[in-house]
Amino acid sequence: MIEILPDIDFKKELKKSSGSSLSECMQCGTCSAVCSLAPDDRPFPRKEMIWAAWGLKDKLAANPDLWLCHQCGDCSTYCPRDVKPADVLSSVRQIIYKQNARPAFMGKLLSKPALLPIAILIPVIIISIILLLAGTLSIPEGPVNYSKFFPHAWLNGSFSVITLLVYGMATIGFVKFYHSIKSGFPEAKPKMSLFKSMIQVKIEVLRHSKFTDCENKKSRTIAHFLLFYGFLLLLLVTLYAIVAVIIEAYPMALTDPFKIIGNIASLMLIVGLGIFIYNRLFNKSTLGNSNYSDWLLLISIFLLTLSGIVVQFARFGDWNLAYHLYFFHLVCVWFVIIYLPYTKFAHMVYRFIALSFANRIGRK
Amino acid sequence: MEKKTGVYICSGCEIGNCIDVEKICKLAAEEFKVADAVIHPALCSVEGYDLILENIEKNKLDSVLIAACSPRVKTDVFDFPENILLERVNFREQIAWCYEPNDEDTQMAAEDYLRMGITKVINTQIPQPYLAENLSSDILVVGGGITGVTASLEGAKAGYKIHLIEKDEQLGGRANELYKMYPCKKPFTKFHEPFLDDLADELKTYENVTVYTSTQIQKISGEPGNFDVELINGSTKKIKVGSIVAAMGWKPYDANKLSHLGYGKSDKVITIQEFEKRVKENPNLKLPEKVLFIQCAGSRDEKHLPYCSNYCCSTSLKQSQYIRDLSPDSSVFIVYKDIRTQGLAEEFYKEVQKDDQVFFTKGEIDEVLVENENLNVKVKETLLGEDISLSVDLIILATGMIPNGTEDLNLNYRLGKGLPELKYNFSDSHFICFPYETRRTGIYAAGTLRAPMDIAASRSDAAGAMFKAIQCIEATKRGEAVHPRSGDKSYPELYMDRCTDCKRCTEECPFGVYDETEKGTPLPNPARCRRCGICLGSCPERIISFSDYSINSVSAMIKVVEIPDEFEEKPRILAFVCENDAYPAIDMAGTKRLKYSPYVRIIPVRCLGSVNKVWISDALSCGYDGILQIGCKPGDDYQCHFIHGSELTETRGENIQETLQSMMLEPERILTKFVEITDYHKIPEIINNYAETIEEIGPNPFKDM
Repeated sequence: MIEILPDIDFKKELKKSSGSSLSECMQCGTCSAVCSLAPDDRPFPRKEMIWAAWGLKDKLAANPDLWLCHQCGDCSTYCPRDVKPADVLSSVRQIIYKQNARPAFMGKLLSKPALLPIAILIPVIIISIILLLAGTLSIPEGPVNYSKFFPHAWLNGSFSVITLLVYGMATIGFVKFYHSIKSGFPEAKPKMSLFKSMIQVKIEVLRHSKFTDCENKKSRTIAHFLLFYGFLLLLLVTLYAIVAVIIEAYPMALTDPFKIIGNIASLMLIVGLGIFIYNRLFNKSTLGNSNYSDWLLLISIFLLTLSGIVVQFARFGDWNLAYHLYFFHLVCVWFVIIYLPYTKFAHMVYRFIALSFANRIGRK
Repeated sequence: MEKKTGVYICSGCEIGNCIDVEKICKLAAEEFKVADAVIHPALCSVEGYDLILENIEKNKLDSVLIAACSPRVKTDVFDFPENILLERVNFREQIAWCYEPNDEDTQMAAEDYLRMGITKVINTQIPQPYLAENLSSDILVVGGGITGVTASLEGAKAGYKIHLIEKDEQLGGRANELYKMYPCKKPFTKFHEPFLDDLADELKTYENVTVYTSTQIQKISGEPGNFDVELINGSTKKIKVGSIVAAMGWKPYDANKLSHLGYGKSDKVITIQEFEKRVKENPNLKLPEKVLFIQCAGSRDEKHLPYCSNYCCSTSLKQSQYIRDLSPDSSVFIVYKDIRTQGLAEEFYKEVQKDDQVFFTKGEIDEVLVENENLNVKVKETLLGEDISLSVDLIILATGMIPNGTEDLNLNYRLGKGLPELKYNFSDSHFICFPYETRRTGIYAAGTLRAPMDIAASRSDAAGAMFKAIQCIEATKRGEAVHPRSGDKSYPELYMDRCTDCKRCTEECPFGVYDETEKGTPLPNPARCRRCGICLGSCPERIISFSDYSINSVSAMIKVVEIPDEFEEKPRILAFVCENDAYPAIDMAGTKRLKYSPYVRIIPVRCLGSVNKVWISDALSCGYDGILQIGCKPGDDYQCHFIHGSELTETRGENIQETLQSMMLEPERILTKFVEITDYHKIPEIINNYAETIEEIGPNPFKDM
C-alpha cells in the first residue's frame, strides 16, 4: 500500500527530458505485452509509465526494473497512443545518475549542457597543475616522446589516485542505490548469495544474452558488443602498459602484440560507435529521442578513441601538434573514465547492481 | 379458382447436369397439367426473362413457378407484374449444389420440390393489402428531452406533422441540468454550451410541430396509421397519429445504495449529477485541492447495474476540467474500471490526458474511510503494481443511468400499458438486427429508453427512430408490413365463426396484435401485425390464415410429397425451416457444396412459431418418418426475428408429444434445432444425424395407410 503524493515538478521535469507526453498513456499495457524482457509479475514499463504520470519519484528511484530494460524501443514502436515508454525509462535512469551522484554537484555538472564548459575546464586545469608540479608544462624538443611531456610516473600516479578518489566517493551513491532498490522489495526472499548472483549477471553481461532477447534491433546488439569488448581489451592493454613502463622498453613498437590488440580494439570501438551514432541520427522512430547525456557519452568515447589513434600516429610521424593532441586525449580520458559514475556510462554500474539484485530475488 | 400456371425450369448453374430436367418438365405437364412448362439454360438472362413474359401473355397465365436458384437471390430479376402470383423452387442451392448428380434420390427430391411448388401455387392467392381508412400521417413524440426534441426536428424537416409531449413545464429534460456539454467536435478542448435552447428555438420555426408541455398521456389505443391518443393537461384532448416515438429518457442510479463508496456518510461524497448542479448554480465555486472521481460507481457491478452507462466516463472527464479550470493547483484522481469514451468522446479524453494534474488508474475501490473531515480511499487491483491509498477532499461518484418506465404511455393493449422490456429494464429493441423497433408495431424507442447513451448518440438515435416511425406510416398506407417482413402485403384473416375464444392467439402474439372482448374473442389490429404467423401456429381451430401462407397451403404441400413404401428403405424427413436464419444457412451450405441427406424435404416457414400442430399430425399420418424443425436461437439474447417464436416450439412441444403418444409414435419423430445464420457448416451434421436417428428407430408405421 502506498500513500499517493504526486510530485508534479518531477513529472514536468520528466516530461521535458523524455520528450514524451507521458500523461497521454492510456494504460493499455501494450508496452508490457510486447517487451521481451519484462517479468511476468508486475511487468514493466506500464507501471513505470503510470508512476511517471503520477509523479511518484520515490517509486521510480527504488525500481530495479528500470535497469532490466535494454532499451530496444519495442514499447515505443508499438504504443497505440504514440507515447514513448523507452524514452521515459531512459530519462528516469538519467535522473537516477544525477540523484545518486556523490558528490552531488558532479551529477548536476554532467547533466546540464550549460555546465559543459566547466566540465571541460576542470580536467584542463587539473592536468595543467599536475604538469606544472611535474615541471614539464612546455613542449619538449626532439622526436616525439610523450613521457618527456608527462612523465609516466606522474601520469599513472595522478590519474590512478584521482580515479580511485572519485570512484570511492561515487561508491557511496551506488550503495545508497542498492539499498533503495532493496527497499522497494521488502518482502522479497533472496534465492542466492549476492556474490553468486553477481557472477551470474557478469556472465550474462559478457554473453550479451539480454541484448539478444531484445529481438528487433540486431545492429544495436552488434554495436554494443563491439564497444563492450573493445573497451575491455583497451582496458587490459592500458593496464599492461602501466606495468610495461616498468619492465620493458616503452613506448611499444607498432608490431608489438599488445599494440596490435590495442589497435584492433580501437577499430572495434570506432565501428561500434559509428553504428550507435548512425542509429541515433537516422533511426529516431525506433530509438526514440536522443538527449544530452546520450550524446555526451557517445561523443566523449568517440573523441577518446579517435584522439588515441591520432596521438599514436603523431608519435610515429613526429607531428608538430603531437603534444597538444596528447593533452586533448588526456582530457578525453578524464571525461570517460573519471566522470564515469556521473555520466550515462554509469549505467554499467547501476545496471549491474540492479540486475544482480533482481537476479538474486529471482525477478525475471 | 382454377389457376393457369407456367412452370419454368432452369438448367443452368449445374442444375441441368445434376437432375433430369426433361423428366421434371414432363411431370409438371402430365401430373399437374400446367398451362405451360419450359426448360431454359439461363432463366435469369434477358432472353430467359423475356421468354417468361412472352409466355405469360401468350398463355394468359396468372401464376408462374420458377424452378431455379434460391428464392432468396435474384429477386430483382424475377420481378413480374403485380397480378402474377410468383413461386420459386430452390433447385440450385438445395438440390444441384448439395446432392449427388444424376442420382435416383436427387431426382426424387427435385420432383417432390416441384410438386410442392405447384401445390403451393394452387393453394395460395396474391395478397390483397389491408387498407384502413382515414389514416393519419402525424407522429407523436413522447418526451421533450434532447432525444425527443431532435426526433421532432427530424420529423418536421421531413414534412410530417409532429406532436411533442412533455410532462414538465419546459422542454429539455435532463439536459436542463447541465452546466456545460463535453465537446463532440474539433477542437476537443472547448466545452459546448447546452444547446437545448437553440434546438427549442429551431423547433419553433416549424409550423408543423405542436408542443404540449405539462401534458401527459391518458390513453393510446388503435394501430399504426390509426392511433387514438388522449392527452391530459387539465382538460383532455384527443389527437390521432400514425406512429409514435417514445423518448422518455432516464434517471440516475440511486446513490443511496452506494454507501460502500461513502455516499451518505459525508457531504464530501457526491454524485456527478450533484456536482454538475453545484457548478451550474455557482460557476465560481470554490473547489478543494484534491478530488477523486470513482468511475462505475454502482455500474458494471452485479450487485447494482451490471451494464456500462456510456456517459459517465466522459462526464467525469468533463467535470475534471471544471475543477482544473476553477482551481489551477488542484489535483484530480480518476479511478476507473475501463475508460469508455465512445465515438468522438475519445478525442476529448485525449485532451484531458494532456493535463498534468489529472491522474488516472484502473482499480477497484477497496474501502472509503470517512474520519472527521478526512476522506481516505484504499484502491486495489491498480495498475501501479500495488494497492494505493489516496487522501482527498472530495469524492465524486460517476453513477450510471436507468431507463424511465414506459407505463406512462398508457397503451390500451391487452399485453400491458408500457413497452415490453428486455434486459435491465431497457425497452426491447434488438440491438443489431432492428434497433428502435419495439414489440409494439408503430411505436419506436429512442435514446436512453432503449440503451444507455450520451447526448451525441441520443441525437443520432432520435433521427433513426423518427425515420422508422415515418417508414411505418408509409408502409401502413400501402398496407405493407414493416421490418423484418418489409413489404409483405399479406395479413392474418380470421374465420370467426369457428373461433372458440381460447385466447391462444392473443396470448402468443409477441406484438400485441390482438385485443380481445370481455368474453375473450380476439379483436385483430392488422396494422400492428409483423406477419410472423405465430397466431396461425397457435390456433387449435386453424381459423387463422394468410392469403399466401395458410394451414391448407402447407398441409397440401406436405401431402403432395411421394412417400416411398417402407420396403424401399428411403425414409422421408420433413423439415420446417425458419426463413430468417435457418433457410439462408441451408442455402449457404449449398453454396459451400456441403452434402447432406437427400431424404429431407424442406418447407420454409415464416417463423418456427408459425408451425401449426396439425401440420405435424398431417405429416406423421402421411408416412413421413421424422420431422425436423430448424429455427433461430431463443433466450435472452434471442436471435428470433419475432422475439419468442422459436421459444414457443418448447412450450408447444408438450402438446405435440401428446399427439405422438396418441399415435403410438416415438418421441424422436420430432426434433427441434436452433441455428444462427452463420452456422451453415452445422447443417449437414444436423440433417445427417437426424437421418441416422430415423434409420435407427425405423419407418413410420403409418406409411401406406
